[in-house]
Amino acid sequence: AGFIKSPLSQKRLTQDSVELYCEAIGNPIPEIQWWFEGNDPNETYAQLWDGARQDRVKINATYNLHSTSTISIANLTGDDSGMYECRASNDPDRNHLSKSPKVKWIRSQANVFVIERPEIATQVTESSGKLTLSCNMSAPHPTITGHKWIHRNNVVEQDETSGGFTSYTINGKREEHSGVYECVYEANPQIRGQVNISVPPQVTAYKKSEHGNEGDTGVLTCKNPSFPAVTTWSWYKSGHGVSAGNASGRYIIKSSGNKTELRILKLDIEQDTGDYFCNGTNSYGTGDATVNLRVRSRLAALWPFLGIVAEVLVLVTIIFIYEKRRKPDEVPD
Amino acid sequence: SPAMPAPGPPDGGWGWVVLFGAFVSIGFAYAFPKGLAIFFKEIQDFFGTSYSEIAWVSSIMLATTYGAGPISSILVSRYGSRPVVMFGGLLCGLGMVSAAFCTSILQLYICVGFITGFGLALNLQPSVIIVGKYFLKRRPIANGLAMAGSPVMLCTLAPLNQFLFDNFGWRGSFLILGAILLHCCVAGALFRPIGAGTARVKTHVTEEVKDALKGKITEDGPMENKTEEEGGKDCFEKVNQYLDFSLFKHRGFLIYLIGNVLMFLGFFAPIVFLAPYAKHMGIDEYSAAFLLSILAIVDMVARPVTGIIANSKWVRPRIQYFFSFAIAFNGACHLLCPLASSYTGLVVYSSFFGLAFGMVCAMLFETLMDLVGAARFTSAVGLVTIAECCTILLGPPVGGILIDTFGDYKYMFIKCGAVMVLAGTFLFIMNYYNYRMLAKEEKERRTKEEDLKSVRTENEGTKDSTQDGLELEPLREKGEGVKKEMNDT
Repeated sequence: AGFIKSPLSQKRLTQDSVELYCEAIGNPIPEIQWWFEGNDPNETYAQLWDGARQDRVKINATYNLHSTSTISIANLTGDDSGMYECRASNDPDRNHLSKSPKVKWIRSQANVFVIERPEIATQVTESSGKLTLSCNMSAPHPTITGHKWIHRNNVVEQDETSGGFTSYTINGKREEHSGVYECVYEANPQIRGQVNISVPPQVTAYKKSEHGNEGDTGVLTCKNPSFPAVTTWSWYKSGHGVSAGNASGRYIIKSSGNKTELRILKLDIEQDTGDYFCNGTNSYGTGDATVNLRVRSRLAALWPFLGIVAEVLVLVTIIFIYEKRRKPDEVPD
Repeated sequence: SPAMPAPGPPDGGWGWVVLFGAFVSIGFAYAFPKGLAIFFKEIQDFFGTSYSEIAWVSSIMLATTYGAGPISSILVSRYGSRPVVMFGGLLCGLGMVSAAFCTSILQLYICVGFITGFGLALNLQPSVIIVGKYFLKRRPIANGLAMAGSPVMLCTLAPLNQFLFDNFGWRGSFLILGAILLHCCVAGALFRPIGAGTARVKTHVTEEVKDALKGKITEDGPMENKTEEEGGKDCFEKVNQYLDFSLFKHRGFLIYLIGNVLMFLGFFAPIVFLAPYAKHMGIDEYSAAFLLSILAIVDMVARPVTGIIANSKWVRPRIQYFFSFAIAFNGACHLLCPLASSYTGLVVYSSFFGLAFGMVCAMLFETLMDLVGAARFTSAVGLVTIAECCTILLGPPVGGILIDTFGDYKYMFIKCGAVMVLAGTFLFIMNYYNYRMLAKEEKERRTKEEDLKSVRTENEGTKDSTQDGLELEPLREKGEGVKKEMNDT
């Protein structure tokens, strides 16, 4: 038996998770076990199993053409620091309680360091049309080589300074720039802090005025692009002062965190024309928008159509009469 | 020279009214498919189909408009331009009105794609043909003005369609557009028939052609759309009476056909991808759309101006060279486009592209008329459009494949530019050869005329010369004029 891939030593922060990966070949296929030795001087190697340490340890092993095993430990604590060993053997007597195996278990080690997660104090300040987000990391912390700010999976700012304090300035108001921002400290390991700009829902109508044909289905849409997402949507209607729900059976409301759709089946010119209000609520407040619906009569396009057809007939008649009067004896080809 | 049996084209008078009608008709034929794109998103949502299924509507429409060319030519040969255009207008209107009541995407393909597309085909060809019948000396100007209908109509249709859509929805808009398309009937009503001479010339041509083709049949075996040789001869002769297949022996026609079929591979793709390319470069949607507006406005001005230039006595005898230059210029624009790295660069590109596009379009049919003559133009235009149909449809998808494979738009521009420069060069060289051959034949024919002057009767004289003679006369005079100038200097 021999190792194709050995586990790698890593540094992690508390509350993070770590994954160690080990691969071995042999004939017959070897078995892989994970053993751990803590940093205490008196500690000796003890085996890890799937579900150990209050179910924080997960071991996933496959034994196809060769053996692979992945151990992952979630929610790390300082006591998880130490030496992790991947052991493999294909000796049939390897787990025998009394006999000692002919061939020893081969071992590969990896060191896992769990460092206390430094505290990051985050802050959002707003002044004179600018927003300033800041992260301040308290000592002790590993050596920092640079900072990055990430918003919606884009890197919006980065530098290579080494301080524990980093800030990012945006021009505008809170309502326009809501969302999740991450301040990333480049170090070993990488440390991330999260700054949220939270606002009440900035609800807007997809289209301020909508049209629908009589008898068709009308769709009114409102959206909320801001953070955090809306927890409750509701629709109201003026002109009748009735709160639109699923009462009449003609209304269907489909909502998600950032969009809501009100569908009205079998539009009626009198009943359904008017202003509709959509209202969205989250833990920071509410917001609403107005959508105006106009229902067209089925025959609305008919009058312009007939008018234009009449005009065309008149023009063609005039042209032919003019031609006949100019040359009454011409026989066309 | 012997007296002609019919008066030449009027070059004015009622011709300007006919030109206006052709302006409207051609405008609808070219601009209408492009203008429909505004409705596609709504229809896509309504029927729940994918974007490519909707795009088929435009493709079927374009394919039918170009593919039905020969049918259009046959009908015009038989009945003249006026009835065909009026019927075409009726068909378009009918197609759009029935489209307003469609309940499935397949019905849309048929109503909008086939029926309206066929109606537009019956509009496009006869309009171009009748411009050729009414104008000779001022024909390039006439062609340039008539083709200017396309950008003007596009600029009108685009906001009109948007207005109709906002107020009436897509079904109402189709209904009203059907009525608007009926104006093609009005345009057709203006196409007063002309040229008893052209009809007589046609019968002369038929006899000659019959003999030539009988020879061709024994040589090469059956030609296209013929099943059995013996019994099929009658049907073939009938079709041939209306659609002149002997054009395939005509040198100029073949040159034009090959050059244009090649050119169309790279002609339309840049327009289709200009706005997406601009958005890809980070430009916002409205500015990207504005690029197309710049293109259309420059195009609108370029077409009549090109017509005027092509009509001048320096260019008209060498109009084929001017055409090849326009195509090559077009190709050069595309090749240089990848160098444009900012919005200003793209604006410059759009302006030059609009100029080049207008130049090519203005002379597209003029050069064909110049090569084959007004009499055979009817059949020629039908045969050319059905051949171009394939490459026109292939152009944008091939460009799209290039973009998807390489992830970069510049290869599409390079491909289009290269194809067009190649087409332009091909046309230039082959037309140089053609002009020389024509000059040689002219010299031979003149020495023969002088020999047989005493023996010949009037009938035999008209047979040969009316075909190309009508065209060569003004050219010859101009050519001699140029030669005289050169001899003087």
